[in-house]
Amino acid sequence: MPKELDPSTNEKNFILESLYAGERLDGRELDAFRPLELEFGEEYGLADVRLGKTRVIARVSAQVVQPFSDRPFDGIFTITTELGPMASPGFEVGRQTEAEVLLARLIEKSIRRSTALDTESLCIVAGQKCWQVRADVHFLNHDGNMVDAACIAVVAALQHFRRPDVSIEGETVTVHSMTERVPVPLSILHVPICEGDGGDEANVVTLIDATLQEEQLRDGDMTVTMNKHGEVCQISKAGGVPLDPIAMHRDMNLAFVKVKEITAFIAKRLKEDEEKRVKRDNLLESKAENER
Amino acid sequence: MPREELLSPEGLRLDGRRWNNLRTLKLSLRTHPTSSGSALLTSGHTSILCLIHGPSEPSLRSKQQHDRCTITVDLTYAPFSGTDRKRRNRTDKRISELRSVIQRTFSRAVMTHLHPRSEITITLLVLSQDGGVLAGCINAATLALIDAGVPMWGYVAAVTVGWVPGQGGEGEEEGTPVLDVNNAEEGELGVLTLATMGDKGRVILGMLESRVRLEAVEGLMAVAVDSAGKVKDMMDEEVRRHGEAIARAAGVGS
Amino acid sequence: MTSLKRAIVDTSTDSGLANKVFLRSSRGKCVKVVREIYLRQDIPCSSHLCVPCTADAVPDANGRVKPFILSATPPKTSAYPNGHYLVPDTNIFLYCMDVMEHKSAFHDVVVLQTVLDELRNRSLPLYNRLRGLTNSEDKRFYVFHNDFRKETYVKRYPGESINDRNDRAIRAACRWYTSHLQEAVAGSKTKVPMIVMLSDDKANLNLARNDGIECTNIRDYVKGFDNADELLDMISASLEDQEARAGRGDMLYPEYYSMSKMQTGIRSGTMHQGTFNVSPYNFLEGTIHVPAFDRPLIVLGRENINRAVTGDLVVVELLPKDQWKQPSSKIVEEEALGKNDNAETEGPEVIETEQERRALIDEAKRSQQGSAEGRPQPTAKVVGIIKRNWRYYVGHIDPSSVAKSKGRGQQTVFLLPMDKRIPKIRIRTRQASEITGKRIVVSIDTWDRTSRYPVGHYVRSLGELETKGAETEALLLEYDVQYRPFPKAVLDCLPREGHDWVVPPMDDPRWKGRVDYRDKLICSIDPPGCQDIDDALHATLLPNGNYEVGVHIADVTHFVKPNTPMDDEATARGTTVYLVDKRIDMLPMLLGTDLCSLKPYVERFAFSTIWEITPDADIISVKFNKSAIKSREAFSYEQAQLRIDDKSQQDELTQGMRILLQLSKKLKQKRMDAGALNLASPEVRIEADSETSDPIDVKTKQLLETNSLVEEFMLLANISVATKIYDAFPQTAMLRRHGAPPATNFEDLQKQLQVRKGLSLRVDSSKALADSLDECVDSKEPFFNTLVRILATRCMLSAEYFCSGTQAYPEFRHYGLASEIYTHFTSPIRRYADVVAHRQLAAAIDYEPLHPMFHSKSKLEAICKNINVRHRNAQFAGRASVEYYVGQALKARGMAQEEAFVMKVFSNGIVVFVPRFGIEGVVKVGEMMGVQNGEKAELDEEKFVLSVGERRLGLFEKVKVEVKDELEEASGKRKIAIKLLD
Repeated sequence: MPKELDPSTNEKNFILESLYAGERLDGRELDAFRPLELEFGEEYGLADVRLGKTRVIARVSAQVVQPFSDRPFDGIFTITTELGPMASPGFEVGRQTEAEVLLARLIEKSIRRSTALDTESLCIVAGQKCWQVRADVHFLNHDGNMVDAACIAVVAALQHFRRPDVSIEGETVTVHSMTERVPVPLSILHVPICEGDGGDEANVVTLIDATLQEEQLRDGDMTVTMNKHGEVCQISKAGGVPLDPIAMHRDMNLAFVKVKEITAFIAKRLKEDEEKRVKRDNLLESKAENER
Repeated sequence: MPREELLSPEGLRLDGRRWNNLRTLKLSLRTHPTSSGSALLTSGHTSILCLIHGPSEPSLRSKQQHDRCTITVDLTYAPFSGTDRKRRNRTDKRISELRSVIQRTFSRAVMTHLHPRSEITITLLVLSQDGGVLAGCINAATLALIDAGVPMWGYVAAVTVGWVPGQGGEGEEEGTPVLDVNNAEEGELGVLTLATMGDKGRVILGMLESRVRLEAVEGLMAVAVDSAGKVKDMMDEEVRRHGEAIARAAGVGS
Repeated sequence: MTSLKRAIVDTSTDSGLANKVFLRSSRGKCVKVVREIYLRQDIPCSSHLCVPCTADAVPDANGRVKPFILSATPPKTSAYPNGHYLVPDTNIFLYCMDVMEHKSAFHDVVVLQTVLDELRNRSLPLYNRLRGLTNSEDKRFYVFHNDFRKETYVKRYPGESINDRNDRAIRAACRWYTSHLQEAVAGSKTKVPMIVMLSDDKANLNLARNDGIECTNIRDYVKGFDNADELLDMISASLEDQEARAGRGDMLYPEYYSMSKMQTGIRSGTMHQGTFNVSPYNFLEGTIHVPAFDRPLIVLGRENINRAVTGDLVVVELLPKDQWKQPSSKIVEEEALGKNDNAETEGPEVIETEQERRALIDEAKRSQQGSAEGRPQPTAKVVGIIKRNWRYYVGHIDPSSVAKSKGRGQQTVFLLPMDKRIPKIRIRTRQASEITGKRIVVSIDTWDRTSRYPVGHYVRSLGELETKGAETEALLLEYDVQYRPFPKAVLDCLPREGHDWVVPPMDDPRWKGRVDYRDKLICSIDPPGCQDIDDALHATLLPNGNYEVGVHIADVTHFVKPNTPMDDEATARGTTVYLVDKRIDMLPMLLGTDLCSLKPYVERFAFSTIWEITPDADIISVKFNKSAIKSREAFSYEQAQLRIDDKSQQDELTQGMRILLQLSKKLKQKRMDAGALNLASPEVRIEADSETSDPIDVKTKQLLETNSLVEEFMLLANISVATKIYDAFPQTAMLRRHGAPPATNFEDLQKQLQVRKGLSLRVDSSKALADSLDECVDSKEPFFNTLVRILATRCMLSAEYFCSGTQAYPEFRHYGLASEIYTHFTSPIRRYADVVAHRQLAAAIDYEPLHPMFHSKSKLEAICKNINVRHRNAQFAGRASVEYYVGQALKARGMAQEEAFVMKVFSNGIVVFVPRFGIEGVVKVGEMMGVQNGEKAELDEEKFVLSVGERRLGLFEKVKVEVKDELEEASGKRKIAIKLLD
């Protein structure tokens, strides 16, 4: 297994020393994010997120399937993550490392378990037909903090996605193609955003949005997922520096501020994309409901 | 599904406990003398057995670390542990996550630098599950490690706390934390599993899986940190009793 | 750690520990539940008498201690002079909840956990009511968790039934309370209150007596009160229910017949097929029109309705004659009757609840007493369903069916549909707490024989109840109005030029066959603010003394070509829907309000009809042309009227309008002479605040001469076009007919007028009807005539589109307009029928060939069927929108006292019409001023008079009502409530 090289002792000392002095290698504040970029694809449901050098693409698609027999009233929502050598030579194809499992679970817990997507509204005919919404997450470049980037990508893609419209008449169901009927957006209950905190050695420094190097050197981390309503969807901190509960709580409040910023950023980008589409497809004319 | 109130307005839970009652916690050390250390923990209907092997030579070369020992965790759910007999796949994502969480926690709690190039294996077997499995695993592993004589920075004591949201309506009650959740509660509430290390109430592990309001998290953590201290005391008591028994058997001490 | 809240953690292990293992079957599956129980001794008895318990009381997580509830001096009755605490059994709460809630009795009650749990499993709404009682301070209900208290915990013996165990637990708790209180007050002089077990289970009472526990049944208990009679009344009614509960089966509804059996039945005439309609006043009564009978067949009761939902195509079988009933004279609403039903289906259900059954029995009794006049009508039962008409339903969650404590767990709740004719729908959802209080959309999945209600699933939420957005969307969905945006495929059919499109120069191929009318002085007259102008007119004096009159209609078919996505979309939409503040377009805005709309000052393509008309309004000739016009002005009705009336205006345009007005009056007279009806339907206008656009007032619409000016020429154009396209396409012309109503439809109204007012209504022809309607006047009450017209309108059939090949020529007749043939041609922007007529007319004048699609009779029939439905729905949606805004206006105004007229009398209420707001509503007997609760109402069906106490309410009578917008506590729904005054 090709292993990512650990930073050299010199590098390590340099980075740590500067962190203790309150400086980061890229000149950021300790509690600052790297520049976040979000772009949408031509098609609905494709989001491309860049967080510094980290880059993640999420693609959402939907198909009609049979629901699970134990949940006849629910649609299906799955998230698949793929960490390949493209992101970093440390990842291998087709073999899940522990880190990968943890990452996948984190995203899953952040978005799926916290019921960000209203799966009940994906039901078409109970027990027979429902929508399966699938989010594929591809990691293109790994420079730390993949959880955040992935989470932002999935959430943005979900909000951007439109599924084909369905109509029911008596007991027959019709799925309308995208051109035949204006596709409908998914019902998103809340928008969870992950925040990765890295607690650095000797419990001196807490920093947000660690780069790969910082990740390699840190001694423990904590990821909190929240939405803009101030609900914590998920906390995970396992091992690492034992933290003072008050400090943990302070970090969460800090994360909440960031979450609101990022949510607003996604909303802004979605709106821009919508406006672009309206212009391109002459959608202004499509409004059937008009003021009298 | 029976519609039941997890916490009645009179302040009683489904099994008759109040919000701050732990379930009956039974701890025993050295239940399996062939291993380096062992412990059996029962908390209500949750029952977990932990065995320690090592420090010993690593099973794989790749596990060898030049400056510390490697902690390996092996976690198995017995097929009969739930109400329905069901075999759990070892590659189950949830189990491998738990395994890695436990591994990370003890990699930090054990003084790993004292045993370079060696491996300590923590084998956990969930015999019966009724909520609070992760917390149970952590506590059982702590006791077993102590039994094995592995040096640690301090006790790692874990508890679960659930959050029963306020019923709304009259005066918007804030909601209530409930300590040491069982299966029925775990299924429906936001549950925080939290472990502290040592005496100062520092948090080494915190896992929350469902949506809970930020303000509630503060309350949850306060209760969890406090009760983790209590659990630590109970473990300490048991360890001392066990130590005295051994000493008595060996004819030493008081 | 200082800023975090400190918590006290109690790790002391409690006294006992018992384990419980039981099996529970749900949907045929066995689920094993293993549960621990911690028995404790710190559960207080909550009596102010008890000192030790007060000392032991445990605070909750927020450090608060629950105050003690049971009074130190509980009420005394003759039987219990020392005062008493009541310990009721489960059956008391199940059947006598109303009486438990009574203000004057039942204080200091100990509700045992055993009882509470059992009640929750039996009926969640009752459980919620009981929990409500425990919160009320003056009732002093205390929940005692006997199953967690060490002394009162009772282990189930092997072989013992769960009911027996529970009864034993209740007795054990009574015993404990007695001894506990005695200990508590031992030594002091206080007299110990009696612990009284209240039960209706004879076995339990006997066992309790043997144990020496004070016990009584509810009747004996109540006798000790001053108002015993009132309470007894409430009890007896509920206990009858209990006794009647018997004979439940697993299968609630009869099985449907096989398809082949039904087909044979229909062929042999023993069964009938038709569309099932539920009465809007009584959800347990449905009707089916079948060709074999003049009058509709009646279907009464859940079992006979047999899972049919309104709109389904069903097969019915007649019941034996002795089971025939007459249509209901009672208002029955599901919400009121089924409020205690349990959404979760654990126990077996009854198909008809007792209340429902009683409502039906009343009916049956009445129909048997009924004299020859009120003869029973053919009554049938549903035996099969050919085609379901299920769609998305809009409604809200019944809050009482929601288990509040449930977090994210899945639960079953009831959806109360907006449409009263649709039964409650069971939904399983995990987000019950989130969607309560919202307008939500659901769809029905199945309705099995074993389930009393249909089962559906949640689709989406429209938003908070009561908000404008949610309510508007709700009514659009409810009436199946397609309001979603136009898809890309449709937009691709729009002209590339967009808003820059102009009439091309004369040498363009698009001018082929088109006539240039741009020099004619054309104007349009429409309601104020109209953007989609379909029609424009002109008139000039010809040299020969006749007039040239032109009606110019927007040339929609120039832009909407057959068999394109845009045409398909328009076919599906069928019509533009007008709501109070919104318009749901049939065609994209670009066409509807710009390129097709005959806006003033710009050139537009049109389809023109030009007549030569004599001054006596006789038509000399008519010709049709595709054309290009330029409207000189767009008037509102009012502006046009002012201009015509203003003598100083002598320009040609105004002159033209005056000619049109004169001619229209003559045309109208001719039509009236031919027997056209002048019908009334209530129309109101909503006055809105100009800034917030919140409705503030309601006005009735005013009609001006110019309204009828436009109307007459549109009628004339439609008739001319109808003749022309029928000539050209005798088999496939798109026409509109209005069938003559069968005389039986008027029977009720005729009788009512005869009895109440001594008036007679002649219905043998439209002329006769028109004349006799004119005679229906009450000199004292000018509105009476309008009321009769409204009622007469309801007796008629609705006009419909049809394809000429499907009817014989005499059937083409338009009854209301008294015209032999009729079609719709004049509003192609907002009606699809007109689009078809345009295409047919264009082909008839050899402008362009007709697309083969419109040669096909079956295709046209399908179009007609759809647009008939859409048309009707659009009307309903419009009315519902007005009703909503009237409600909003009322909300803004508080309440209003208005005059109203009785339109219908039932045995338990009346329906009134409020002309001021154009609304009608039900007033139930209980909602009349000065009527004592429980006073019997009696309906004299011969005289159409409902007597309540002193009050006589006759049909057509004028009454005073209070109209206000009211929030229904139980369902959280707002509605217009009408109360009768004086």
